[in-house]
Amino acid sequence: MTAKERVLIIDNGSYECRVGWNDISVPELRFRNVLTKPRKDRKKDNQPGIGDGATTMGNETPAEIQVGNDITNIEAVRAHLKSPFERNVITNWNHQEQILDYIFSKMGFEAEPNIGNPIVFTEALANPNVCRQQMNELLFECYGVPSLTYGIDALYSWHHFQHERGKVADALIISFGYSTTHVIPVLDGKLQMQHVRRLNVGGYHIITFLFRLMQMKYPVHLNAITISRMEKLVHEHCHIAIDYKEELLKWAHVDYYDAQIMKIQLPYNPVTATNALLTAEQKQEKRRELAMRLLEMKNRRENEKLQEDEQQLQLLKKLRQLYEQQKEQKFERALEQQQIENLEELDKLISTVSGRITRIKERAVSSPRPNKQVDKMAKPPEGMDQAQWLSELREKREELIRRKQARQQKRQELAKRHTLAAQERMRIISTLARCEKRRKANGDEEDDGFGMNDDDWDVYKRINRHNDDSDSDAESEQLIEYEKILNHYDANIDEGGAASKALTAAENYQLHFGVEAIRVPEVLFQPSMIGSSEAGLAELIAFVLKFFTASEQQRMVEHVYLTGGCAQFRGLKERLAKELLELRPFQSHFAIFESDNHTLGAWLGALVQANESSFNEILTTRQDYEEHGCEYFKEHNASNIYYPTPKD
Amino acid sequence: MDSLPKPRRSFKKPFAFPKNCTYRPLRQINNMERNLKLPADQPTYFTIKAPPSLLPAKKYSDISGLPAPYVDPHSKLRYSNSDEYASMQHMPSDIINGYLTLRGHTSAVG
Repeated sequence: MTAKERVLIIDNGSYECRVGWNDISVPELRFRNVLTKPRKDRKKDNQPGIGDGATTMGNETPAEIQVGNDITNIEAVRAHLKSPFERNVITNWNHQEQILDYIFSKMGFEAEPNIGNPIVFTEALANPNVCRQQMNELLFECYGVPSLTYGIDALYSWHHFQHERGKVADALIISFGYSTTHVIPVLDGKLQMQHVRRLNVGGYHIITFLFRLMQMKYPVHLNAITISRMEKLVHEHCHIAIDYKEELLKWAHVDYYDAQIMKIQLPYNPVTATNALLTAEQKQEKRRELAMRLLEMKNRRENEKLQEDEQQLQLLKKLRQLYEQQKEQKFERALEQQQIENLEELDKLISTVSGRITRIKERAVSSPRPNKQVDKMAKPPEGMDQAQWLSELREKREELIRRKQARQQKRQELAKRHTLAAQERMRIISTLARCEKRRKANGDEEDDGFGMNDDDWDVYKRINRHNDDSDSDAESEQLIEYEKILNHYDANIDEGGAASKALTAAENYQLHFGVEAIRVPEVLFQPSMIGSSEAGLAELIAFVLKFFTASEQQRMVEHVYLTGGCAQFRGLKERLAKELLELRPFQSHFAIFESDNHTLGAWLGALVQANESSFNEILTTRQDYEEHGCEYFKEHNASNIYYPTPKD
Repeated sequence: MDSLPKPRRSFKKPFAFPKNCTYRPLRQINNMERNLKLPADQPTYFTIKAPPSLLPAKKYSDISGLPAPYVDPHSKLRYSNSDEYASMQHMPSDIINGYLTLRGHTSAVG
């Protein structure tokens, strides 16, 4: 093996994968570590016409798998995104193979017979042997990698930091990942593996927490609230509160809220929005138009029928004339043609048709319904102030609206299971059924007095799923009436005139982002907020430190090192300083350092290692793999510790 | 699924995991490791997880996130003031359930 061989460095994170060569100081390839397989029917839609015929039959390609940056619109395929990871461990090897294919073809191995370069690969802290075994198998057997080494991302990042700032023997590394957060004690340059602790909360939890919160705060905008948008909010606008409780209490004040609230405008299209903004009156108008159109259609159909009937009547009358003129033969033939048996039937037909005609004509005459009575604006009753009357009307109107909403909500609840309303309905049905059974068992009718009281029948109203509101029509008419009056006397009834209406409509498409900015990242310190029973970060640090003697603790807290994507939250360092101050002895010293490059630290650390002269010694070669079994790897100062699986 | 020919890539050798190996959930890996009877002091992925919190969980309003001294006995939601309580009264049940599951409070009646 020549020392000049290029080394491929892959930082395989559960959020992002970074790949690059050891002679270039930045990763050339960065992509979200996900893949998606477009649905087959979707593919067909994209190329209509070509799909059928013999052309595609020959070279049938398997559904195209899109990996990482190939995914053009990640939101469109959100539901079909696959990741090889479960937490920070690779568990799905089919997906990992796809991703490795993607990496190697992007890195220019397309025409090579195998992967001829050594590889540095990051893996999870305390990665289970089974997983490493499979990774080894995949890389050595499938890709023919000559040699490789595994390292822990957080330790690589620490490595990089020391490379820049000088060697440090002891440290407490806190690594903030996408799915996990690690507290890693390092003493004399050695990882204290048995005292490492992992918190299963990370960026993923923060983002989904915000996502769910926003969806429930704005159920109307369910579809507009996407993971991508929430990710952006988390990345750019969330921060960690130095004193969470104190900042929360500030938000409770309206003035602070108004001053600090961030309003996020969702995409808003006034054309589609207007439909929802129609007032009750306009809706009624639309309905009236529709009714008119239906009526017209009905009239036209009736007219056609009338003409048909009249023609038939004339024909029948002619037949009758034939009979009266004693033209027997002609009459018989004509009857046969019309499939009429005899004279009586003819008479009957004539009478029914003519009856029908008169009926239709009568209806046509009476149909122009009496036009609506002339609208006359209601006036306040005698001896009453107009303002008072109006306010009363307004109250009545609100009451009606509220009742309407309540009814609608009840209807919705009935449709769902597990709601109180639905359970009540089932209870009533079952009691009714039980009454019936008892009667049958007794043999004779045992009257339970049902129906004696008129209210008894309300039972059926209550269990009716579509909760018939016959009274709601009357109510909505009254509502319109009120609105008309209020509109007449008082221009700014609802939200004011039409001019401001468009503005408020756009405002309806705004998300208020306030407490969330500190509430969401706080899950790192209080996992109980998302229902996790794990200790929060501060508690965890205290827990890990307690494993060590006082002097060891002191040595470690002199270098508390923060790395990982989530370490970029504003205020994190200050918050940790506050927490450490609380848990360290009085007037003791500690220092917190941050990675220079939170997201790339691990990759850069691996780069440092790959360029060290001793790099070849830590590589696990193909020979090692064949000799020591598939879970073997060589340890180094940034790696996991190799515990062979016991053989029984 | 296996019948589909994989796109040919020159750098790959024909290789396939045994069928049951391509996906093993973490839980299964955990069980496997537990059956191995590893030495008690050997750290594994599953032993280095954070301990349960010993501090009492702070109570925050489900709706606003503010400190919440009250619980609605009917919906079990936490709230911090009367305005929030009023807004809860018109809340559809799926949103109430959403808030509860987000906090990890799931009732016995699914």
